[in-house]
Amino acid sequence: MGVSLSKKAESARSARATINYKAWLLDRGGDILLLVIIALMLLPIIFLIVGSFKSREEFAVGSNFFPSDWRFENYSEMWTRVKFGTYFSNSLIICGITTLVVTILASMSGYALARFRFPGAGGLSMAILGTQLVPGTLFLIPLYMTFLWMKNNLGIPLIGTNFGAIVLYVGFFLPISLWIQRSFFATIPIDLEEQAMVDGATRFQAFVYIVMPLAGPGVISTAIFVFLTAWDELLFAWVLNVQTIPVGIRQFTGVAGSQNRYELLSAASVVIILPVAAMFFLLQKRFIAGLTAGAVK
Amino acid sequence: MALAPKKNKLSLWQRIRQNSLAYKFIAPTFVAMLVVHLIPIVQGLYLSLLDVRLTTLTLYLKAPFVGLKYYIEVFNAIFGIGEDGTSSRVTGLINAASNTLVYTIWTNIGTLGLGLILAMLLNRNFRWRGIARTLVLLPWVVPTFVTGTIFNFIWLEQGGLANRILLGLNIIDMPITWLIGPNSLYALVIATVWRGLPFTTIMFLAAIQVIPTDLYEAASLDGANGWQRFRHITLPLIKPIAGTQVLFGLINGFYGGYNIAVQMFGGGTGFAGEYADLLVPAITRQTWERHLYGFGSAASVILMGMLLIFVGIWYRAFRDSLRAE
Repeated sequence: MGVSLSKKAESARSARATINYKAWLLDRGGDILLLVIIALMLLPIIFLIVGSFKSREEFAVGSNFFPSDWRFENYSEMWTRVKFGTYFSNSLIICGITTLVVTILASMSGYALARFRFPGAGGLSMAILGTQLVPGTLFLIPLYMTFLWMKNNLGIPLIGTNFGAIVLYVGFFLPISLWIQRSFFATIPIDLEEQAMVDGATRFQAFVYIVMPLAGPGVISTAIFVFLTAWDELLFAWVLNVQTIPVGIRQFTGVAGSQNRYELLSAASVVIILPVAAMFFLLQKRFIAGLTAGAVK
Repeated sequence: MALAPKKNKLSLWQRIRQNSLAYKFIAPTFVAMLVVHLIPIVQGLYLSLLDVRLTTLTLYLKAPFVGLKYYIEVFNAIFGIGEDGTSSRVTGLINAASNTLVYTIWTNIGTLGLGLILAMLLNRNFRWRGIARTLVLLPWVVPTFVTGTIFNFIWLEQGGLANRILLGLNIIDMPITWLIGPNSLYALVIATVWRGLPFTTIMFLAAIQVIPTDLYEAASLDGANGWQRFRHITLPLIKPIAGTQVLFGLINGFYGGYNIAVQMFGGGTGFAGEYADLLVPAITRQTWERHLYGFGSAASVILMGMLLIFVGIWYRAFRDSLRAE
């Protein structure tokens, strides 16, 4: 046994010398491939940024990659030409409040699903996953009708308002968020809560003071996920006539009857990416830790 | 649950009382799901049996009952029965369904294949690894409707970035028409893969990183080459993650693509043309622009049926790795 093992090691060692340069070559090939892929991934973003500084004519002709004259005034013109400030603040309000509410509710219900085996838990899990398999186009019509009915009969302004969008998005993003949270809570050892409860804490206190601080990365992942997705939602906002960025930005192109102003659209796009990018890269490490923890374990 | 004394003979009522905190924690979520998901879904299913259009919209659930009319219309058209009666809304829908299938298959192959390659490349030891891992995340922070905008500019026939690079490298000698005609579906696929790649890469990278290195060392000692190590160690161990990614990919393929398509095609009008029209944009047009609410609901149910078939196949393929978790 031992002899055959050392023989194998011996032959592997002698083979290694010949393999070595082949491995080195493969490694350099990998470097080049990686470089090409990363370049292709970055190019569209760089293209968008430089395009936002071009003049309208230069953008249309597209002969230079970089603008011959960097027009920073595109940004101020973009801001005044459509009600960009309104769209931007609407989106911030809607996405901010939605993220806050969803994260709190998803933490509570995710914890309940991860720690309690209560009657109905199985059915609830099925319902949560099931909602992800239903196309938005199917429940958008009834939702619109319900919101319209509530507006007409109960006087609750749910259509064309930020409030309506928040109600919609909270319900919309809760199932998937609580599923992310649930899998994160499952990775936290239960001993700490048990210890706290032996020491006289109630279960609720143990959740608030012991579990939640430990769940930081999971909470951050959920929050960023919700914010990113809500920031990106177009269809429901359009149907409910909410003036968010995705709806408003379409005014720069043919839809609103104005001529296409691609350079202004580019400038607006850069501004739209900024808050998400800032948040994402500030919290990147914890976000990724949270997202992958539930998936890999 | 671990705190509860282990008594098996508890009545339902006792178990409910014992878990009262769980119900309190779930209650707000349950109400939100009921209002935004469960009740509308049931109503939507029922709507697909009604003749709801602009003139009957106010009647809503009391609109004329037409039963399976829309479903029969679609199935007849698929199997070529009663061709005279085939309306443009049905042929448009079937065309969009076939585009959606092709789109889903290619976006999955692209995202999963490239994501795995990228994860393997990023898992090696090299000097700029930290920066490289951050840079590949960048497309993720670009909202999908902005992705559509960017790629609209990239695919422009005259002066678009793609044609200029391809012409500059002498790969083509005439500008390619990307946004109209047969290329348009692939223009959409490439934009979708670009946006989806970071997430898949990060997930694969996380899965590869937790594979113990001694497994590879032992395999090397036994004389396994790089491909064999990949095939017999890496692939089986990342199968659970790959499974989740495929499920996400199926859902995104069938239900996604709307934001990118709307911003990329038609200079903002959002109609992709017959080659790249997907089901969700097609259904949205039928429902909200042509006011065929009942037909739109039926089409949504058919779309859901398509997805469920694939989820069924997915479940059979990945059942083992699900059970292992």
